[in-house]
Amino acid sequence: MKVLIIEDNEELASSIQRFLTREGYICELSSTCQEAREKLVLYDYDCIVLDIMLPDGNGLQLLKFIRESRIQSSILISSARNALDDKIEGLEGGADDYITKPFHLAEMHARLRAIYRRKKLNGDQLISFNEISLDTDKMETQVNGSVLELTRKEYDLLLYFMVNKNRVLSRQSIANHLWGDYTDSLDNFDFVYQHLKNLRKKIAAAGGTDYIDTVYGLGYKFNTAKK
Amino acid sequence: MKLINKFTLWYISITLFVMLIGGTIAYYRVKKEIDEGEIERLKVLNGKTAEQIRLGVATELQTNGRPIEIVRIDSNVVSNTCEVVENSFYNPNINHKECRLTVNSYYTIDGQSYRISSYNYVTKTSQILRGLISSFLLILLLLAVLIAISARLVSNRILQPFHSALQKIHQFSLKDRKPMNLPPVRTREFNELNGFVNKMTDKMLEDYTALKEFSENASHELQTPLAIMRTKLDLLTETELSDDQAQMIGSIQEGIDKLSRINQSLILLNKLENHEFETSVHIPFCRATREAAATFSELMDMHALEFESHVEGKVHLPVHPALADILLNNLLSNAIRHNIPGGKVVLSLSRQGLTIKNTGEPPEVPTEQLFQRFKKGNQSSGSIGVGLAIVKQICDLNSYRISYVYKDSWHIMDIRFP
Repeated sequence: MKVLIIEDNEELASSIQRFLTREGYICELSSTCQEAREKLVLYDYDCIVLDIMLPDGNGLQLLKFIRESRIQSSILISSARNALDDKIEGLEGGADDYITKPFHLAEMHARLRAIYRRKKLNGDQLISFNEISLDTDKMETQVNGSVLELTRKEYDLLLYFMVNKNRVLSRQSIANHLWGDYTDSLDNFDFVYQHLKNLRKKIAAAGGTDYIDTVYGLGYKFNTAKK
Repeated sequence: MKLINKFTLWYISITLFVMLIGGTIAYYRVKKEIDEGEIERLKVLNGKTAEQIRLGVATELQTNGRPIEIVRIDSNVVSNTCEVVENSFYNPNINHKECRLTVNSYYTIDGQSYRISSYNYVTKTSQILRGLISSFLLILLLLAVLIAISARLVSNRILQPFHSALQKIHQFSLKDRKPMNLPPVRTREFNELNGFVNKMTDKMLEDYTALKEFSENASHELQTPLAIMRTKLDLLTETELSDDQAQMIGSIQEGIDKLSRINQSLILLNKLENHEFETSVHIPFCRATREAAATFSELMDMHALEFESHVEGKVHLPVHPALADILLNNLLSNAIRHNIPGGKVVLSLSRQGLTIKNTGEPPEVPTEQLFQRFKKGNQSSGSIGVGLAIVKQICDLNSYRISYVYKDSWHIMDIRFP
């Protein structure tokens, strides 16, 4: 997957780039509208991460340019302003999703994958690892070929892990992924633990391997090296 | 009291005052004129009579049937002097009090002193007074009625620029970012008012824009470094770490998490205060409530709390959907957070209001104080302490009445819709 990251903050851009490069994506950076325009005209990208506030213009204008030039990339807007009108304007302007800073890299990655999947019509809806497979279209989980009954939250959780394999997912990141911004610190970690416990139980009952490790002090990790 | 009524009252009371004084003056003047005229006439009559005595005309002829009394007096008098006597008495014939004016004139004719008296009945003081009062009352009534009617007719015309300015002020919303632009008018006072309002609203718009820009910038400036910290920590967690280091990173992550939530909440509060969520679209509040109830019932289960919800259908309210969600989320998360093991949460929604009550320990601070920012009942809880402040702000914005009471070991949060 080829990704263009349009972000004026170098540190943040390099974090994103590093994370995505490890996933095997090709990442390019642009820190200004001008630079981004040039790159967009010259090359094709599967996904674009677009910051709204750029030194030489507004990301929404760039969005308009992208749509008017009929560039088919999926667009994820990243913004520090969680102004609702920006969000609506962005999504109406043709962006595929919207993420508010400060985001977790895993969360951004999950969203990027999701919009990429949605765009691709040739049926890449299947995410699988060994005996576990998720059909994101039907929202169905199979372990060893048999359907696993998961709640919505458990499904979301498993998908989040499967997209971010071998990544340490902090409890905050998981809670944020499952409940969004406005959970004003419910004792989320208990809930994360509960959901995870149920998920592991169900996978184990279906004869699957428990790939999810607890990382001391930090969170959890989908460990592909586990047998 | 309406301005016009005030004016009318003032005019009427001034008129009343003037009329009282005018009436008194008129009374004395009229009485004086009447008396003087009569006295003059009687004096002339007395003089003529004296003339005739001098000429030696018979007394009967002299009086000519008129009530004239001629008395010879012995003592010397100063000739050509006269005195006026006014006396009221009761006349039994006409069953009435009468006022008689007598003029006594003194003459010396051929060495003999005479007193010639003539009298006449004049209008009584009380009669004058009565006539004056009744006519003045009539005038006053006429004036009052005319003032009241004409003031109403005229005021609509004169106050028209004021009313139109008032309406414009009423419709003014900072959010529209449109200056007021009240037109200049001919009345000086209203012109001043319009100019002042124009200037004030322009300043307000300027300040508002500056404030909005500031809060947006503050958000941006804070969110970006937070994003850097968070992403770098995400990357750091993927390196080889000792348990100690991992735990430290975990704590930093928690701190950033909290910081980011505080920041977002403050931005939200700012926006609420700036009335950025104004809406006139009615949304199905019942549906939002049901959705929130469904989401939270799962969390309640995990906390082993009993959850009861009664949601009436067709509750539509003009509230921003995001605010409805935040309101419900904050209240329900509070109901879970401040609960006791094996406790209970009851949610009920009707067209009149929303009530969320939960079991829990008694609050440590007075419940009204919990609506303030960063005021926490329990300092150690994971809450950042602005949840209720946001709820309060949302209620104020939509003119809902909110109350929070603790009764019989229930925390009762009650919101009444307008």
